[in-house]
This record gives sequence, structure tokens and C-alpha cells, in this order.
Amino acid sequence: MSALKLQLTISPTGRLNLSGITPAKLAGLSATEVSRLHIEAGPEKLSLGECFKVEGAGTDTLIIEGATPRCDFIGAENEDGTIIVEGDVGFYAGRQMRGGRLEIRGNAGAFLASSLADGLIVVNGSVGDNLGAPLRGERDGMSGGIVVVKGQIGNSAGARMRRGTIVASGKIGSAAGERMMGGTVWSASGFGTDAGVQMRRGTLIAPSVDQMRPTFVDCGLHELGILNITNRYLREKLGDLAPSPITGSVRRFAGDMASIGRGEILLTAS
Amino acid sequence: MSAVNSKDSQPMNINGIAIDDTFAEAFGMSATGIIITADTMKWARQAAITMTGFGTSVIGCGAECGIDYEVPAEETPDGRPGVRVLVFGFAPESIEGQLKNRVGQCVLTSPGSACFNGLEAERRIPLSSGPRFFGDGWQTARKLGDRRFWRVPVMDGEFIIEDTTGVTTDAVGGGNLLVIGRDRPGVLRTCEAAIEAMNDVRDVIMPFPGGIVRSGSKVGSKYKGAVASTNDAFCPTLRGATNSQLGPEDRAVLEIVIDGLTSESVAEAMKVGLKAVLETGPENQVTRVSAGNYGGNLGQHHYHLKDCLP
Repeated sequence: MSALKLQLTISPTGRLNLSGITPAKLAGLSATEVSRLHIEAGPEKLSLGECFKVEGAGTDTLIIEGATPRCDFIGAENEDGTIIVEGDVGFYAGRQMRGGRLEIRGNAGAFLASSLADGLIVVNGSVGDNLGAPLRGERDGMSGGIVVVKGQIGNSAGARMRRGTIVASGKIGSAAGERMMGGTVWSASGFGTDAGVQMRRGTLIAPSVDQMRPTFVDCGLHELGILNITNRYLREKLGDLAPSPITGSVRRFAGDMASIGRGEILLTAS
Repeated sequence: MSAVNSKDSQPMNINGIAIDDTFAEAFGMSATGIIITADTMKWARQAAITMTGFGTSVIGCGAECGIDYEVPAEETPDGRPGVRVLVFGFAPESIEGQLKNRVGQCVLTSPGSACFNGLEAERRIPLSSGPRFFGDGWQTARKLGDRRFWRVPVMDGEFIIEDTTGVTTDAVGGGNLLVIGRDRPGVLRTCEAAIEAMNDVRDVIMPFPGGIVRSGSKVGSKYKGAVASTNDAFCPTLRGATNSQLGPEDRAVLEIVIDGLTSESVAEAMKVGLKAVLETGPENQVTRVSAGNYGGNLGQHHYHLKDCLP
């Protein structure tokens, strides 16, 4: 069965809220039925058919073409199936996803994977601030799942993260893993300033940090078995998308000692 | 190998070795598996050997333990050489306690070791409960997918142990072969050959020393409180004094006991073991093969020797 395809036909002047437009919720619907579904467009509601050309019928794969940074909440609360987005996306893509796969073949705005619970999100471009972070008033960030970003990531990636993995080929901005409680944030190109500020538990991995906070203490060079397990897990889960495995010793900084200090920053280029 | 009599005739005789028309009686058990890794296979085996020590009989040891097979580095969670250990007990709860003590005292303590789930099963029991608290609050957890790993700081780095492991209640304990002969060293050599062959069978262990037991037992004792005592019917020095089941020339009996994760694996191990006995027995003055049972009323699993013939 071919995928359901949504092709953006308007140039939205406001925000388009695409939450709930997921393979599971569209499964079994015809193109006509999908066209009649409503989405929020700023203060008003529009039918999908007014914004998108709809082709095919609901299956386990949804393709969104022509997306712009004004398209928010793409893939939010997805539970199963695959969503492929051609173009850039706005805020909150993949928010509270509980399974499935979201592939963004462009850039993503802030709060990508906000409070992600499970599933895989792949971004070919770069991502804005607060990747994985909770919204104001919420307690936890990511509680599972994997996010792979081939470009760079903005500030505060992995904030209040409990579990899960974020992997970036590019650099991650300041305050990566702030107030983190578990999980892994891994950059192949380094972190900005204030990495791990107020983190309680969890692991940050990178070749460098722009300025290590003084509340992280140097524990020396070590070969850590948990990295072998992580390498293997990511290779099994991600295949070619997996980062190059870490071999040899890493320099371990424990912190944030201004909190309970059970977290760590592992520098791979020491 | 030449069969003098057919499988249905009495007694069966292959290569000059008589095969009793009897069966091994085995019991349902619970079992778990773990994978122990280390920097080298030598140290993975060392940890496994230490952990499985004093694990011959569930009655006296609390669990029956043994090494199943060596796991190549590419198949272990941390990419290091490993050993799969099986632990059998009466119930999952009793295995849980045994794991806690054995892993805590024998694996955690072994240089460079790590310990992982070694049995995929729906039912889980704790693996890290106990050992992880050795970390005194410095232990941290890493959850990757559905699996949680604990990192416990120790003096040579970190001890990594998975949170839970699988447990099955479909395991079988007590498959057995009795090897009888005129020469004690020869009977031992034959049993050694059988164990070597049986070690290639997956999902089974032979929990006694080197896989072989010299003190086969019967149920009960003349002494109050002893649940088992020497199997006098198979003791050669009592041949004239008891209701012996040995021939006039028999001087030694050794037993191979088999525990398996499934009934099929136990049956396979008995076939492989019996084949090795029949091949190597004639040159070692082995005269007969038998099996231990309790009349067939106690154990759920019966393995007839005639069904195990090669």
C-alpha cells in the first residue's frame, strides 16, 4: 500500500498546528476523509484539504512535502508508523512521540522531540534550541527514544532529560543537558559553554566543551565499558546513522557538583 | 559401532556394552542464564567458574550451576569475550537469592568483569539487586532501549551489571547416565569423553565436578534428617552385602547428571553423551550403561535409553 502524501499548497502567514496528523490516526481514512480533518491555523481552523493536496490513503507511512518553518507539531504524539517530511519544520516537531519514526529532511525549530517518550527522530539539517526539553510548567524532558541530528543543535538540548539518547554530528550550543536527570547527549563536534549545568545524572559526550564549568571535577582518563554497550546499542538501532564508535580512553568529568554530582561529561579527544 | 541386538530386544548391546532398558527420571525446574564478560576469555571463565562453584545439587547448594558455552566477543553486549552461565533452582524466587549472592561475591569481585542477561524470556528476575548497592550511592543507571545497565564504581574501573535477566519455569533437572565398567580410570576416561561431547550441546549444564558425579544417591537414609544417601545398589564394594545391581566384574560406576533449559536440550545431551560412551567405552572396559529413576512416579520427564541410542 502506497504512503499517504500531503503536499502543502499554501504559503501560511500564521502557524499551522499539525498535531494529531499521524499515521496511526489517519490509518484507514481515504484521501477525502483526510482532507476534511481540521487543523489549527492561528486563531482559526482550516481543513487539511485547504492547506494540502492529499494523495493516497492512510497507511503506516505519511509523507509531508513542502513543509515550512511555520508548520508546528509535526509528528507530535506519534505512536507508530513513519512520517517523512520534505522541507523545514517549525516548533515542537515530534513532541511527546511514543513510538514510530519521524524523518525531517530539512531543519527543525525549537523544542524538537520535546518530552519524547520513545521512537526515533532523524533530522538531516540543524535544530533550534531546547531539543527534547519540556514546556514551561512540565517536569520532565525526554524519557526515552533516540534523536539523530546531522547538523548542529541550539542551546539547552536535553534539558531535564530522564532517559533516551541525542546524537548530533554538529556542535551543540550552550547549556546542553541542563538539569539533566539521565540519558545521553552525544555531539561529535563539541558542546558550547555551560554544558551540564545543574545536571543530576546522565552523560554528555563530546570531543570538547567551550568552557568547562568549575563545578565539574576531573576524574581522569578511563576506558569505560558502558561506552562499548552504547556503541553496540546505537549501531543496532541506527545502522549507518550511528555515530563513530568511541574507542580508547575518555576523560571523565563528574558533576554538576553544585547539584548531586552523579552526572558526567566525557571528553573523547583528551 | 555395531549393534548386536536390536533396540527392542533385551538387553541391548552395542560395541560390547550393555544398555539397560530403563530411563532417566528428571524433574521440572526453574532456570536463568547470565553472560559474564571480561577483558579476556581467561578472566570471563574465571569469574564463571568461581560463581558456579558449590553449585552441584539444589538440595545442598541452593542451586545447580554450570557453564553453558563461551560467547564470542561479537555476540556479547559489551563486545568482550564472555561465558554463558546457567543457574537452576526450585523456583524463580530461590534463583533470585542465589544470583544475588553468587554474582555479588564471585562476579563483582572478579577483575574486569561485567554481567548481563543471558536468557530471553518474558518473566524477569532481578540481577543487579544486591551487587549494585555495593556502589554506596555512586552507582548510576543507563537505560538503552528496554535494557537498564548499572555502573558500579570499583577499584579497577566500573562493574557493569544489567538490571534484570530472564527466567524460565520450563527447565528440566536430573537427566542422567550411569556408566559402569571393570576399570575405574577407564570409566572416568569414558565419562570425560562424554562430557567433552556434551559440552557442545547448548542450553544444558552438567553441574557436578567436571560434569561427573561418583556419589550417586538414593532417596532417604537410615539417619534422621538426611534426605539422600549413598546408592548402595551401585556401590561395587557392597556387591555381596546389598541388593546390588552390579555384575561380578564391575568395579566402578560414574554418573553424568544433566540440567537443561528445555526437555529437548536434555534429551539431546543424553543422546550425545550416550553416543560418546558407546564409542569410547569398549577400549576403557566399560561394560554397561544405565540410568537413574525413582520408578517413574516422581519426575515429569522420562528419557529412555533406547530412545537416546545413536
